[in-house]
Amino acid sequence: MKKKNVIPGFGITFGFSMLYLSLLVLIPVSMVFFNSSSLGFEKLWEIASSPRVLSSLKVSFTTAFAAALINVFFGFLVAWVIERYSFPGKKIMDGLIDLPFALPTAVAGISLTTLYAPNGWIGRFLEPLGITVSYTPLGIVVALIFISFPFVVRTVQPVLQNFDKEVEEAASCLGATKLQIFRKVILPEMFPAIITGFALAFSRALGEYGSVVFISGNMPFKTEIAPLLIRTKLEQYDYAGGTAVAAIMLVMSFLILFSINYFQWKVSGGKIKRVGGR
Amino acid sequence: MSIEIINITKNFEAFKALSEINLKIETGELVALLGPSGSGKTTLLRIIAGLESSDTGSVIFDGEDHTGTSTQDRKVGFVFQHYALFKHMTVFENIAFGLKVRPRKFRPSKEVIRQKTHELLSLVKMEELSNRYPAQLSGGQRQRIALARALAVEPKVLLLDEPFGALDAKVRKDLRRWLRKLHDEYPITSVFVTHDQEEALDVADRIVILNQGKIEQIGTPEEVYDNPANPFVYNFLGNVNLFHRRVEDGKNIINYSRPHDIEIRLEEDEGEFTLAEILFIRAIGPIVNIELKRLDTGDFIEAEISREVFKDLGLAERKKVFVRPRDFRVFTPDDYAI
Repeated sequence: MKKKNVIPGFGITFGFSMLYLSLLVLIPVSMVFFNSSSLGFEKLWEIASSPRVLSSLKVSFTTAFAAALINVFFGFLVAWVIERYSFPGKKIMDGLIDLPFALPTAVAGISLTTLYAPNGWIGRFLEPLGITVSYTPLGIVVALIFISFPFVVRTVQPVLQNFDKEVEEAASCLGATKLQIFRKVILPEMFPAIITGFALAFSRALGEYGSVVFISGNMPFKTEIAPLLIRTKLEQYDYAGGTAVAAIMLVMSFLILFSINYFQWKVSGGKIKRVGGR
Repeated sequence: MSIEIINITKNFEAFKALSEINLKIETGELVALLGPSGSGKTTLLRIIAGLESSDTGSVIFDGEDHTGTSTQDRKVGFVFQHYALFKHMTVFENIAFGLKVRPRKFRPSKEVIRQKTHELLSLVKMEELSNRYPAQLSGGQRQRIALARALAVEPKVLLLDEPFGALDAKVRKDLRRWLRKLHDEYPITSVFVTHDQEEALDVADRIVILNQGKIEQIGTPEEVYDNPANPFVYNFLGNVNLFHRRVEDGKNIINYSRPHDIEIRLEEDEGEFTLAEILFIRAIGPIVNIELKRLDTGDFIEAEISREVFKDLGLAERKKVFVRPRDFRVFTPDDYAI
C-alpha cells in the first residue's frame, strides 16, 4: 500500500525541493570549486599554504570555535533561566534573544567597537586590567558571540520546554542529588540539541564578515579573517585566489560539520529517541 | 514501614486540594486512594513522597516526623502514570540508576548492581529486554520497568500514581493482578492512586475514598462496597438506581439500589412493584444488562439479571414489566450530597 501524505505528489514536491536547493545552494557552491579548479592543484596549494592565508584561516576557525563554545555555555544558561524560572520581563528577555539576527551586522560591529575601544564605555574598565578587546582576536570573538548567540538558545529551549518534570521527580525519588539529576538525567537529553546549536553557531560565526571588519582592525597575520581576505583578493582582481580561499574554507567547514554530525549520531547511539505517549 | 498522615491541608491558590486529612497506613498494607479527578488523591500521594509540601500537618514514617525531609532522603519508591523513564538509558541502566547514584560509601559494587538489576528484571519478567530503550517497549512493559526501577533502591514505601491509567483494559487487568501477587510475596507498604473503583476493589487491602479534598470513607473493599457511608461513596463505587419515595410522616426519602438488586417480574405481586418499560437490552456474557423507564415518574432504571432469569422471563425491548429494588439503602436527607 502506498502511504498517503498530507502534501500530494512526491514527484512534484521532490522536484521542487531539488530545483530550489540547486539554484540557491548547489550551483553557487559548485561555482566556487569550478572557478578555483581552473587554477590547477599546484597553484591552489601555493595559495592555500601562503602564510597570510594560513594565518587568516587560523584566526577564522579558532575565533568561530571559541565563540560557539562560549555560546554553548551561556546559551544553555539563558535557555534554562527562561524555561525554568518565572520573573517579570521574561517575555521581553525571550524577545531580545533574536535581536542579533535582526540587527544589521555592521551596526553590531560598530557599536561593539565603540563600546570596547580603550576609551569606550566598557573598554575603559578593561584597559587598566590589561585587556584590550577592540582590534584583537578577542574582539573578533566578542563580535562572533554576539551574532551567533541565538542559535544555542533557540535549539535548546524547545527541548528543555518539553522535558518531562516527572522524569526529574523520578530521579529524585531514587535518591539522586540535584547535581546528579542535572548531569545524568537532564544534560544527556539536551545533548543533541546543544550539539546542533553549536554546529549552527559555529557555521554562522565562520562566515561572518560585516561585524568583524569593524572590531578586528584587519591586521594581516593578526586579526585578518578568511572572509575578509577573500574580499581583499577580489578587490585586487585576484578572482582565482579569492575563490581558492573560499574553496578551502568550504572543504574545512564541511569536514567539521560532518564530524560534528557524526559525533552527535554516535553519542545518541543511533537509537530511537522519541518516546511515544508522553 | 507505617505511614501516618496528620491533619494535612493543602491549597493551590484559591483551590482547596486537601483539607484536614488524617490517615494511618499500617506496615505491609496495600491501600488505594480512590476518588474522582480533582479529589486531591494525587496531591496526597505527592505529599507523602515529598514531591509536594503541605500547608499544615505532618507526615510520620514509623513514628518519626518526616514532614521536612527531602524526597531524596525519604526512601520512597514512586511510580508515575506516564512511566517517567529515562529515555536515553537502556532498560538495564534505568533500573540500575538508583543504585548507581548512591554516595560512594553506600554504593554497591558493579557486580552487585548487575546481579540486583537482573533479579529485578526477572521479577518483572523482562530479562531478555535489558538492552532495549524505553521507546522500543510497549506501555505495559514500560510500567513494569518503572516499577522495577522503583523497587531497586529497596524503598520502605511504594507509591503508585494511577500506575495503570495509561494502559489498555486487558493489560491493565493483567498488571493489577500481577501487582497484587507481587505485594503478597513482598509485603512492602504500598499506596496507589486510582479513579477506577473496580481496580481499587480488586487490588487493595483497604480503600480510602476521597472527594473534594476530604476523606469520605476508609475501609476494606467489602466494607465500603456493602456499607457505604454516604450517597457519594455508594454512587462512586458502582452504578446506582434512585427510588424516590414518600413515607408516612410526609418526608421524602430516597432508596439507593444497585442494578443487580433490581427484581423484574411479569405480573404485579404484593410489595412495592412499579410498572416500567424495557428500553434496551444488552445480553453479552452471563449477565444481561437491561435499561428500563419507569412509567409513573419517567426515571431510568438499570438492572442486571442472570441469563437464566432473562430467558425464563422471556424479556424483550418495548415490553412492560414490574420492577422493585430487592435490596436498597436509605440515607437520611441531610447527608444527601450527590
